[in-house]
Amino acid sequence: MKPDKKIGLICSPGGHLIEVLRLLEAFEDYPFFFLTYKEKATSSRKNTYYMMNFAKSPFNLIFGILKIFYIFLKERPKILFSTGAEIAIPSFYIGKFLFHTKLIYLECSAQVYHPSLTGRWVYRITDLFLVQWEPLLKQYGPKAKYVGGLI
Amino acid sequence: MIFVTVGNDFRGFDRLLKKMDEIAPHIPREMVIQKGYSRYLPKNIEHFDFVPMNKAIEYIQKSELVVSHAGIGTIILCKEYGIPILILPRRKAYGEHMNDHQLEIAQALEKREGENIYVVYGEDQLEEKILKVLMERTRYTPTENIGRVNLLRTIKEFIKRTLS
Repeated sequence: MKPDKKIGLICSPGGHLIEVLRLLEAFEDYPFFFLTYKEKATSSRKNTYYMMNFAKSPFNLIFGILKIFYIFLKERPKILFSTGAEIAIPSFYIGKFLFHTKLIYLECSAQVYHPSLTGRWVYRITDLFLVQWEPLLKQYGPKAKYVGGLI
Repeated sequence: MIFVTVGNDFRGFDRLLKKMDEIAPHIPREMVIQKGYSRYLPKNIEHFDFVPMNKAIEYIQKSELVVSHAGIGTIILCKEYGIPILILPRRKAYGEHMNDHQLEIAQALEKREGENIYVVYGEDQLEEKILKVLMERTRYTPTENIGRVNLLRTIKEFIKRTLS
């Protein structure tokens, strides 16, 4: 393990989290941590930070932004990976501009023809941008890549 | 066993639960429902709001068929374990979702019956389809998922390039 080469895995619970877990193998050579929302169905998981859902209140968003900053200060991630949803937006902007992290975004496989709001927000600043359905490529710019999907 | 699950969305999916409850006497299988935020309380089927994800995965692995909204988490898990899944998409018009992206997922998966992914668009088709799948299905053995392999490779290469 290389402690100075940490990866942050960021996603909402449910399908977004299942997608990250299906790809966990890609990150296992490095130390990593999770950043997700606490929901009724959330199982406890090690290396995980929980936040209140941003979409449910503006206070959750403000408090969440401060918490993300604190977590990144402590963990010093070099790369962030996310499958959405909006929890990725403040995380990616804080990571990119305050901590110089590299960003990988995988558009959730629920997006077949139309980009997600989160995808549109983070496209510009993301270093590796992947979609899981080919028709979605032409909705994004030339940076978007399609190599296959999980479904 | 048939496991019915409708995801995390706060809007619930009463249309699916009501229909499953109504047809339960005609389905010769034990059924369990994870009703999420749905308000409807099934009378003929055992149900609960939520169980932790690892417990839900156990239910999926034990199932002969999963009946679900078009949520990608459940679809991916069923594909991984080779469990047949029948999908009824949530619709915006009924207040079941903020948009119709579940309809798009369902359409994209329409021709995947060979992989034990089945789609219906109306709740009235559920009974007939469930009975048909239970009768006819031959067990699908999950094969290596090429999409997943390619995603893993692409992400690993990027990480290696960035961190070395």
